[in-house]
Parts: sequence; structure tokens; C-alpha cells
Amino acid sequence: MKSPFRPASPPDTAILDDHKPLVRSLERRGFVRGGLSLGALAMLTGCDVTRPEAVEAALLAISRFNDGVQALLFDSNKLAPTYPASMILRPPKFNAYYDVTNVQPVDGAGWRLEVSGLVANKRAWTLSDLQALPQRSIVIKHICVEGWSYIGGWTGVPLRAFLERVGADLRAKYVAFKTADDYPSSIDMASALHPQTLLALQYGGETLADPFGFPMRLRTAVKLGYKNPKWVTAIEVTNDYPGGYWESLGFPWFAGI
Amino acid sequence: MASLRLMLVCGMLAVATAAHAQSKTPGGMPPPPGMSLAESTAMRFPQPVRVGDLVGRAVLRPVESQDVLGRVRRVVRDQNGRIMVVVEFGGFLGFGGRPIAVPVDAMVLLGQDMEIVAFTPEQLRQFPTFSPTGTTDVPADTIIKVGLAKPSH
Repeated sequence: MKSPFRPASPPDTAILDDHKPLVRSLERRGFVRGGLSLGALAMLTGCDVTRPEAVEAALLAISRFNDGVQALLFDSNKLAPTYPASMILRPPKFNAYYDVTNVQPVDGAGWRLEVSGLVANKRAWTLSDLQALPQRSIVIKHICVEGWSYIGGWTGVPLRAFLERVGADLRAKYVAFKTADDYPSSIDMASALHPQTLLALQYGGETLADPFGFPMRLRTAVKLGYKNPKWVTAIEVTNDYPGGYWESLGFPWFAGI
Repeated sequence: MASLRLMLVCGMLAVATAAHAQSKTPGGMPPPPGMSLAESTAMRFPQPVRVGDLVGRAVLRPVESQDVLGRVRRVVRDQNGRIMVVVEFGGFLGFGGRPIAVPVDAMVLLGQDMEIVAFTPEQLRQFPTFSPTGTTDVPADTIIKVGLAKPSH
């Protein structure tokens, strides 16, 4: 069928032939390449692309820009999909920046959760203190940046309830974590207050096993797997960008799902 | 144009480094020489798993390409009481494999899959074809303990 928008006198097709080299140069990859070099690199940093460190700085600037866009798009009221308990993988999948044989179990009786930064009450918490708080269970998908995923069932204290309990400044930008395995991590306050973000104490209705973060780990449905530190020992509420283990190696910080 | 190309290469390098960074130390290493399978499993934080949940799982090779070696067909106790995982080994696209019995302590759990960490594919090819004579099936509701590994990529 003839398009109703077709002009009465179409342009001469020879025009296309005249501009063939230009059209060819606009093929998709070339376009992206050109866009990255001219637009992003020059405008974001005004850098000299012959210097690798300038290129890295530019790429990191793009990554930070992506983080900002993701933070803008984040909807605190939107819940991630949940699943029936029958779909929980038992045991869960292990991952860390080292193999399981290097896991150093944490003694639950001697464990303390330090609280610092923009909070009213900096008293340290014991495991039984945390167990005494109201608990919430969620069955959510763990999605790894490496491309795999599994469905897991987690029980623990909603991070929002914990932050309210310690009198945290909920307008602060970041909630940062330190862990027993030297894996610092941090998330934005909006994600920290999301109802599907837990200080997890149990998996599948049982106490967390050693390789999965006993006595307490972060488990959030709104971030990629590497934003879920295990064996958490300290929580800090801060306005200074805390970064994280993989983030310092170039991984995106926001890492939302 | 040269600078553009350099920038692209650097970008790719950055991506490659990042992808590599998730595996600072490899997962699923074979037991050190002289160590028994049981001892090596004890180092891998063995976790309870339902036998029925193992049947049908893919069995992978602990290398970056995670080649599928076969699938778990059943779990049995051999004449000596050892728990063995019967793996439909080899073949092509699920056809033409043969069952071999692999000691459970030679294997690890990798999420929804399993891996054989203590034997190479060459060694597995020498395994005799499994014969059920003298073995008993481990009931599906039995809980056994199997070691863990991190992904090999």
C-alpha cells in the first residue's frame, strides 16, 4: 500500500548514490564508536584520547553518569519479583573473590555489628540483639554480574527498620558496609530503605551457613549479587562516597536490577 | 583515527580486566596431591542437599568454559557403603553417553549444577561403565553433604 505521507514528487534516488560513502560510515558500530569518542569523551572530560589514563577516566565518568541515571530511575515502591518457597535452591550458590576453601568462619557469639556515621545510637549489636528485632522473609532471585542466577529464601531484619532503630539520618546519601573478609561495599540510601533489603540472618528457614555469610549478610533484591556483602561487621551512614571492592576495580557502583 | 583505535583497544582491555576480576582465584581446584577425597571435601564447607534434588543436574568441568560432562542419573551406595553419583558421561547433545559412578567427594555443588573437581575428563573416560549389581539406590529424601566451589569463570 502506498504511504499516505509519501510526497507527491519523490526525491531523485541518485541522491542516495551521491552519499553512499557517508551512509556506509553510519553503520551502527561506527556510529556508536563515533558517539563515544566525540560526544562522551570530549564533552565529559575534554581529555586527550591518546593517553590511556584519560580514556579510563572518561569511561569511569560514563559509568558514574550511568549510576546517576539508574538512581534517578529507581522506584522505592516497586518490588522485585518474588517466588514460592518451593523454588528455593538448597543450598544456595557460593561465590566470592576467592574460592570456598579460603572462607574464614566467623564466631557468632563474639561477633559484633559496629554502627557509625550519621546515626544517633552508635551502640554495637550482638547477634541475639538482631534476632530480637522483627524479621521479614523474602524469596528473591540472586542475579550475578557474571550471568548466572538462582532463587533464594532469606530471613532477617529489614535494613530500613534497623536504620530507623539506630536513629540514622535517612537523608544521608550512602549506607556503607565492612566485612570480615575485607570486602567493603556500599549502597544508596533509597535502596537501603527498600522493603526488599534485609540484614539477612537465615537462608531457607535455617541459620545462615558459614560460606554464605554467617552471622549476618546484606541481601537486597534491587542490586546485583556483588552488592550483597557477606559476614558484615560494620555499618556506616555517610555522605562521603564509600566505594567498594569491585567498584574500585572498575565495576559500576549503583548496579541496580 | 589512530587515537580512536587506541581508545577502543583500551576500552576493550578495561572490559576484559573487569570480567577477569570476578575470579581472582580460580574455583573448583582439584585436591592437592596426597590429600584424600574426603579431606578435600571437608575443606569445601560441605552443605546438606537432598539426594532427589541432585538427579538431573548438569555436571560441569571446573574450567572457564564450564563444559558439560554429563548429567546426574542417580545416587547409589556401593558395596563399601560409599556414596557414588552415577553420571551419564560423554555423548553428544545428551545421546550416546554411558553411566559412570563418581565418588560424591570428587564432586562439588555449583548452584543448580555440580562439578567433578578430582578427576580430569581423560581419567573419567577410563572409568568402567556403571553396573547396579551390589549397589543400593539412596532414597530421594535422604540428605547428604556435598562440598562447594565458586564458579570457574
